Amino acid sequence: MSFSFGTKTPPIALSGEVVVSGLGKSYGATRVLSDVNLVMNEGEVVSVIGPSGAGKSTFLRCLNYLETPTEGTIEIGGARVVAGGKLPDKSSLDRLRRVTGMVFQSFNLFPHLTVMENITLPQRKVLGASKEQAHETANRLLKHVGLPDKANAYPARLSGGQQQRIAIARALALSPKVMLFDEPTSALDPEIGLEVLAVMRDLADEGMTMLVVTHEMHFARDVSDRIMVMGNGGVLEIGPSKQVMSEPQNERTRQFLKAVLDR
Amino acid sequence: MDMLTQWLGWLPSLVPGLLVSLQLTGLSLLFGFPLGLLFAVMAAAKIAPLQWISFLFVEVGRGLPALVLLYLLYFSLPDAGITLTSLTTAVIALTWNTGAYASEYFRAGLAAVPLGQKEAALTSGLRGWTGFRVIILPQALRISTPPLAGLAVLVFQGSALAFVIAVPELMSKGFEIASITFEYLSVYLLTAVIYGSLTLLFLGFVQLLERRLGRHLQRN
Amino acid sequence: MITELLPAIARGVGLTLYVTGASLVIGGVIGLVLVGAARSPFAIVRGIATLYINVVRVIPPITWLFLIYFGLPQFALRLSTIQAAIIGFSIIASAFMAEIYRSGLLSIPDGQREAAHALGLSAVTTVRHIITPQAFRVALPAIATYGIGLLKDSALASTIGVREITYYAQQSAKQTHEGLLSFVVAGALYIVISLVVALVSRQVDLGLRKKIGVA
Repeated sequence: MSFSFGTKTPPIALSGEVVVSGLGKSYGATRVLSDVNLVMNEGEVVSVIGPSGAGKSTFLRCLNYLETPTEGTIEIGGARVVAGGKLPDKSSLDRLRRVTGMVFQSFNLFPHLTVMENITLPQRKVLGASKEQAHETANRLLKHVGLPDKANAYPARLSGGQQQRIAIARALALSPKVMLFDEPTSALDPEIGLEVLAVMRDLADEGMTMLVVTHEMHFARDVSDRIMVMGNGGVLEIGPSKQVMSEPQNERTRQFLKAVLDR
Repeated sequence: MDMLTQWLGWLPSLVPGLLVSLQLTGLSLLFGFPLGLLFAVMAAAKIAPLQWISFLFVEVGRGLPALVLLYLLYFSLPDAGITLTSLTTAVIALTWNTGAYASEYFRAGLAAVPLGQKEAALTSGLRGWTGFRVIILPQALRISTPPLAGLAVLVFQGSALAFVIAVPELMSKGFEIASITFEYLSVYLLTAVIYGSLTLLFLGFVQLLERRLGRHLQRN
Repeated sequence: MITELLPAIARGVGLTLYVTGASLVIGGVIGLVLVGAARSPFAIVRGIATLYINVVRVIPPITWLFLIYFGLPQFALRLSTIQAAIIGFSIIASAFMAEIYRSGLLSIPDGQREAAHALGLSAVTTVRHIITPQAFRVALPAIATYGIGLLKDSALASTIGVREITYYAQQSAKQTHEGLLSFVVAGALYIVISLVVALVSRQVDLGLRKKIGVA
């Protein structure tokens, strides 16, 4: 199960496909990302691991242009963008943000809105959904993440794990093709994190294409199809999860895994 | 250019007024800041009557508009048999007002000194007043200085109020010229420019001061 | 004596509240425009906004009032005392409110904008539904404090003849020779109004905090 990079087939990404080639980012003279390549099939789950400062989050955030890459191309779910250090045209940007959903380490729920409003506002404003449609979707998703009775609560009243699950529901409400997770459980106590990981696991089982930056090695090994190891702004290694975890090819990967798993 | 020549012609009459404004500001700050410190210390002392007196003076000094305070003293002092010049009355009113606001900044400054400092002072054998004077007070003052400098600027602006009780400061000189020449717009524009530029100058000093005071907190 | 003075002086309460309230609201709206302009991508717009804010705040309120009330007639713009007072205080309030909004905006975590961005919310929607409501709630205590300050500044309106509290207190002092009492009554009125505003704003703030911890 290996995928060759730089396949010269015309890049028309199917629904849930991700094709990233040659992605790079520099801040002036400092290089933060170099030559990152990734091809994902629909329904694949890829975990991104590596030491701090490796550029994992930066890479993820380039995919929906929270950060602006300076080189490379990004294709997700039909949206194609050629990076050039500045923002792409509005329609490409909008399409990119439509097909991706993001879950943040600090949840970033809107505190002045109820849970229901958090989930319905984006639907109404971005999808043009009616109030009833938005409510219906929201209730369905709330049930899905196990919080059906929290619709009228304010985020501040909920635990971290609950807030993160709501954040996942909020992102799912826009029917993204690819879900991006930026260290979703790093801000949570381990036991609380489990409830979030369970939701993510269900999502993966349902066939969502997911790219997850995480420190949760169990999740990386058991739930993801492949693991991408990053270091110093580049990809050290990428391969089937079990293989990367037990027989890493790259020396630095080996060092990293040793340090992390020995804890 | 016409207005500029007008302005230059008026400056000699306005300058004495400006000097009185500065005098008023200076005196109010000179007496007001220590008064504020006194109120703050009284409030922090655990003696109820002192706390009550300071509370009263501060709440009245802060709660009343400066103009009302001014009028209050101006109209009431003569009835009590005390005749003072309007400048003196203005100084007293402004001092009270300044002291009330300053006391809040001093209180915040005192409260912001880390508790550990007081304990360190005690254990070093510096007790009571000495410990307060040598350890706590300097640090409290350093913390309070930026907002106090901001207050000083407001006092300068407040000095313009003394106009209403016939203190011959900048606004009243402006009014004199205006009533003779009817060039209200031009005159008041000039007074605005004078107040504005002096205030900006002083604010510039304040920023410099803040930076220099903060130096000891910066780690290289 | 107080029982006679109080109603006489309290006649001014209406205009005091009116001038303060109107100036706060108008200044609040202009302040919103200002803070938007101060963050504009066009340097000229930013420059004008910053200039406005810095000029307005360094000139004494009484000078502004005199400038507007006595100076503008030279442009054939004769205003009533109340109009001049409200315009003057609105201009001053707008500059201070812009600064208050600015702090409020700064205190909103970047994560809020990032989440809005990731969800695909337009800039307009983000500002309208996500940023502004939060900034306003954060700024509320500061706005209330400023409002109380504006209440006290409104006493200056008496110098151009607006018939508010201080004006009536002056009249009463001259007519009844009860200077001390007149201004004590006036002072008490200002303090009572300030206290009411402070209490109400505190309740509102506490209520908001309980319902939603601001991000």
